[in-house]
Amino acid sequence: MSGRVIVVTSGKGGVGKTTASANIGVALASTGASVALVDMDIGLRNLDILMGLENRVVYNLVDVVEERCKLRQALVKDKKLGNLSLLPAAQTRDKSAVTAEQMKKLCDELKAMYDFVLVDSPAGIEQGFQNACAGAEEAIVITTPEMSAVRDADRIIGLLEARKDEIKEYRLVLNRYRPNMVANNDMMSVDDVLEILSVKLLGVVPEDEEIIISTNKGEPIAGTENVRAGLAYRNIARRIRGEDVAIMDLTPQSQTWLNKIVSFFSPPVRV
Amino acid sequence: MQMQILDWIFRPNLKTDDARVTARDRMKSMLTHDRLELPAGRLESLEEELTAVVSRYFDLDKDTTHFDLQQYERRASLIANFRLIRSKC
Repeated sequence: MSGRVIVVTSGKGGVGKTTASANIGVALASTGASVALVDMDIGLRNLDILMGLENRVVYNLVDVVEERCKLRQALVKDKKLGNLSLLPAAQTRDKSAVTAEQMKKLCDELKAMYDFVLVDSPAGIEQGFQNACAGAEEAIVITTPEMSAVRDADRIIGLLEARKDEIKEYRLVLNRYRPNMVANNDMMSVDDVLEILSVKLLGVVPEDEEIIISTNKGEPIAGTENVRAGLAYRNIARRIRGEDVAIMDLTPQSQTWLNKIVSFFSPPVRV
Repeated sequence: MQMQILDWIFRPNLKTDDARVTARDRMKSMLTHDRLELPAGRLESLEEELTAVVSRYFDLDKDTTHFDLQQYERRASLIANFRLIRSKC
């Protein structure tokens, strides 16, 4: 078996990269595929928290690379999904603890064991990012519709283009999308961001308070029914698996009380 | 009449400086410069020099000179449009 190695990256920190990795991992595993989540943010380990697995971490990625344990010993099984495992980052080391060659070898081993290997890259464009890309053939770029995040995503896309021989495909996930603000022309739309970056879209995840709640519980939102952000991640997983799934309707969910008063007194306003 | 008043009070899209359009236009220009690693002011000096060269051959309508960078699939094109009046001997 040879699985697909996909690096999840963003350039800018704080756009929801690790949350996206966790959720795409859960959503892919829910479709029946076997998935390994690899936390490459060495020194700033967080993926274990989002998965609710922080108490089960014994060994980590650096232990595997430095041969203090077997790969299978370091992999932590998910609480609910038997076909999903996490390879945690080391918390006490730094990004120079693993080389690109070591990472490539590790990814080769993992893709022989799993259908999907999702690598959560550290923020930034330096060696940590380059190492996270080392074994990958595909990339997912996470951004939000904010100017600084889009600019950094553009930089990452430029660097992915430069690795064209290894990274065959990259697609964008637009995170923390706020349909109400877009409807009021206060924020860039999906089309605006796609036009600016000239990139293929993998999915749009609406801003959702449920994400914070799910993080606090250690249960990624992709496993929850009836939540828009969860559905968005499940759709992303289906698209990764090659299904043709339409982008969900992103028109504002609820009207403001102001709009309600206006529409009560008048026929639809033409703007 | 009643509707117009309500419109005037409640209409949500009255803003003239639309944050979305501003952000989009700023992003486009910023990324064009980023991708080319083009420092501020460099394009302006190119415009000056090119105009000087073309002016040696033609009388130009300088008010309608159009000079711009446009993006197509992550590559920039330089668009220079000179309105010519007549050639110089």
